[in-house]
Amino acid sequence: MKRKSQVWITIICIMLGVILTAQLRTQAGMRQEIPTKRIEEMASLLKQAESERDALRAQVHKLQAQVDEAVNQGKGLSSVKKDLEHARAAAGLTELQGPGLVITLNDSTRVAQAGQDPNLFLIHDEDLLKLVNELKAAGAEAITVNEQRVVASTEIRCAGPTISVNNNRISPPYVIQAIGDPAGLESALKMRGGIIETMQFWGIQVQIEKREQIQLSAYVGSHAFQFAQPVDKEGEK
Amino acid sequence: MLWPLIGIIVGMLLGLIFPFSFPVAYARYIAVAILAALDSVFGGLRSSFENHFDPVIFITGFFSNALFAAVLTYMGDRLGVEIYFAAVFAFGVRIFQNLAAMRRYLVDYVRNRRHKKAQQ
Repeated sequence: MKRKSQVWITIICIMLGVILTAQLRTQAGMRQEIPTKRIEEMASLLKQAESERDALRAQVHKLQAQVDEAVNQGKGLSSVKKDLEHARAAAGLTELQGPGLVITLNDSTRVAQAGQDPNLFLIHDEDLLKLVNELKAAGAEAITVNEQRVVASTEIRCAGPTISVNNNRISPPYVIQAIGDPAGLESALKMRGGIIETMQFWGIQVQIEKREQIQLSAYVGSHAFQFAQPVDKEGEK
Repeated sequence: MLWPLIGIIVGMLLGLIFPFSFPVAYARYIAVAILAALDSVFGGLRSSFENHFDPVIFITGFFSNALFAAVLTYMGDRLGVEIYFAAVFAFGVRIFQNLAAMRRYLVDYVRNRRHKKAQQ
């Protein structure tokens, strides 16, 4: 090997080394920095949202207490009060009791065989949605999922390993309570080829209990409308 | 053979001392450019083994290969074709060919020396 060629190759190698380290650093940065940064960002956002939620919840309670007080104090408002109570019950803002069903769901204890999708043995948001839907169709008057009252704005949605209901994360076992005709509700669920049969096929544990008396918790969120406004009908003005 | 290795180590140490890195968006292009540069270095080593090393060809090859490889990758990204596979493949094959040629040269060199010694 000649001297001259060695010198040139060495110079170029030095440059190559510098670029190589810079590139390795960039790649290492790509792997590490972005996720941790994001996690921190998300955590602070979550904290902020949670404190906001708690403040708003306290406000809702305060306002509801004010409404109660105003209705109790006013005279000749008994019919209004009755209407209000009815509306609040319909909106899920009051605790309700009555006969109904208690359904307990838990993930399958069966172990997925090789090649089988383990997701099939877990309870998903869709299963809960279908169950709640079936209960509604069978005439259930009020439903809770893990103490979360199902109201008009309630979502049942996949949230990673948990399910989000009324923006609360819930995890198995899922307890669904429904007030209604217990026999009617039960037969709707246990229909051949129905929802319970499908879930039991995958080994999901389902227990149905008929009860004379169950108590459903109230919806704790707010019903405030931010965008929607009632339409004024002409003539009624 | 020793000096280029020392060069790479010195370069890497320099890179560690000066903490600069590329923007993440360019990481892919730089990676292909580094492959092209490696190919040039191995090509240069081979030609110096075979005694037809030309500094002008070596230097221009180093920069133009790296540049074209990066540009090609960029164009591929714009066009939606994974054209950088072509660069990776071409440079990869050439690096192995150059390595094989150098190995043969070294084996021949050592054998010749032994032969001569045996004759003496």
